[in-house]
Amino acid sequence: MKIFKILVCIKQVPMVSELPWDAKTGTLKRELAQGMMDPSSRRALEAGLQIKENRAELGEKTQITVLSMGPAMAMETLYQAKSLGADKGILLSDRAMAGADTFLTSFILARFIKQEVPDVDLVLCGSQTSDSETGQVGPQLAEELSIPAIGYAADIQLQGHKVRVQRHVDDFFEVLEMDLPGLVTIDQAAYTPRYAAFGGVQDAFGTTDIIRVDAKSLGLDENFNAVKDSPTRIVDVYSPTTRKENRVFKGTAKAVVDQLFEDYGKIISSAMGKDLKGQGEKI
Amino acid sequence: MARSVVVEFNPCMKHQLIRKIAREFSENEIKPQVAELDRDARFPHDIVEKMKPLNFFGLQVPKHLGGAGLDSISYAIVVEEVSRVSAALGLCVTVHNSVGIFPILKFGNPEQIERFVPAMAAGDSIGAFCLTEANAGSDAGGVETTARKIQDGYLINGTKIFVTNGGVAGTILVFAVTEDDQKSANVFIVEKDRPGFLVGEIEDLCGMRANPVSSLFFEDCKVPGKNLLGKSGQGLKIGLTGLDTGRIGIAAQALGIAQAAFEDSVAYAKERQQFNQPISRFQTIQNYLADMATQIDAARLLVYRAADYKDRNLPFSAQASMAKLYCSDTARKVTDMAVQIHGGYGYSKEYDVERYFRDAKVTQIYEGTSEVQRMVIAKNILTQPS
Repeated sequence: MKIFKILVCIKQVPMVSELPWDAKTGTLKRELAQGMMDPSSRRALEAGLQIKENRAELGEKTQITVLSMGPAMAMETLYQAKSLGADKGILLSDRAMAGADTFLTSFILARFIKQEVPDVDLVLCGSQTSDSETGQVGPQLAEELSIPAIGYAADIQLQGHKVRVQRHVDDFFEVLEMDLPGLVTIDQAAYTPRYAAFGGVQDAFGTTDIIRVDAKSLGLDENFNAVKDSPTRIVDVYSPTTRKENRVFKGTAKAVVDQLFEDYGKIISSAMGKDLKGQGEKI
Repeated sequence: MARSVVVEFNPCMKHQLIRKIAREFSENEIKPQVAELDRDARFPHDIVEKMKPLNFFGLQVPKHLGGAGLDSISYAIVVEEVSRVSAALGLCVTVHNSVGIFPILKFGNPEQIERFVPAMAAGDSIGAFCLTEANAGSDAGGVETTARKIQDGYLINGTKIFVTNGGVAGTILVFAVTEDDQKSANVFIVEKDRPGFLVGEIEDLCGMRANPVSSLFFEDCKVPGKNLLGKSGQGLKIGLTGLDTGRIGIAAQALGIAQAAFEDSVAYAKERQQFNQPISRFQTIQNYLADMATQIDAARLLVYRAADYKDRNLPFSAQASMAKLYCSDTARKVTDMAVQIHGGYGYSKEYDVERYFRDAKVTQIYEGTSEVQRMVIAKNILTQPS
């Protein structure tokens, strides 16, 4: 019987809400924060696990490989994935690959998949990771692999060698069908993830199913340097700030209301980058 | 493809992951209810149901019996993390795993292990250990509960008090004195549906209110001979061994309470403004925080050392007593400082430190009072060859 092969891309992200950024390079100071499995990746893994369980009920075999790229400490998320029910875990880790942008990350992930899991049936990713929220790696990976992709899935049903994917778009649901092999990214509100059992953790650390792969093994050029070779640069990163201020208008009721609309109009105009003055008179 | 295969056991990463999982579960599933459970003195059966499949009730039980097969440091970490959120539920977990299951695994025969452990590891039968009576506690020799030998078993008579998990226990280890040829102390495994076994009212306690601590009554409670744990006369040994293990768990529990009180205090000290600045700017408050952090770190290291000794099959009685003594004293002191930092709010039920303060005290009392721990430690020192 053919084994259905699922590959889930997972990322380790910092556990803190206030991220320690390096103002100079615009990248995250990962060594300062405790890592955790990106919540969106975790939902992608949950989707894979549910597909595996549904197929197992029908007596069909499924193999889940989890793939991650990051520093050595990211190995922990692979052990976590293994304890949750994944079969194998691979960490692509090398100094030369550190600092890759989303384009190079997709390129490196695709390179591993083409070499090691060329017969993959379904690739699952989170829709966007909690640390950078670009949402780019999934679709770019599909491009690199020359397979179709569907983003923001709320539900996946396997039908033969097709998937039927439901997703929430604005105020309605959309159902799409896609031939496999294909890539699906999972919506941040779908597939509530399970907790790992402690027995699963104990087992995961006793296996040899989690491996680390370096740049050389991937056949990357010895001069490969992710920071240098990434075509995009982060120019600036900052936390959005919100400001509250109280203002008291004084005077007659009409004067106060006029003043309120006048000031409000200015704020809206500045947010829209367009002078709204006079527009109200036409209505 | 050339690869470096990671085969070595990596305790740090495993322990980190165990802590994260236990913390995430406790914060998401237990924390929302914790104040209400304390107020209503209610045992959370719904949370227990969620804990069962994650192996909270079979932490160190071998895999083939349905447990997680964890090492003792992992066990201490889980107990600490549950207790950091709910000391009462942490108490349930540690008592069940240590003095409930461990003595059966250690002293039970294969038939007893097979009969009792899987249901306990699954969390379907909660464990309890009862030694304390109206006239016996620190002095185990004062036990008045009797087990009279009859033709096909024993008749147990007596009253046990302050039994942790008592109100929900399914498998109860009962410490009793057998009077046949000679007086001997024994431990019997009693299932809750045995005729003659009755659960008393839930105690109205100062802390640990979500744990159904109760009296248990045995009135001509008949148990078969095959429910005698270990060899006849081994009772004291079983009791003391169980308590040594239990003390690592109680130490971890106290540590969790202290950790919670410390974290809340740091957050509050940064937020609370007096004299136009956060109180964390004052050296007095900084001294409190520094003392709390130092004592908690020292306490944690003592717990891990005791756990490590146990895993390496070294005698760990003194180490467990030191950990229990120091952690419970630390919990008491740290929660006291936490209330002080919180001021009037710390004395109010609006803030969690009030609960930590109440919960911490009993860690100096149960599973051997601080005075008994000192006796154990001193005895160990004085019996060492000089």
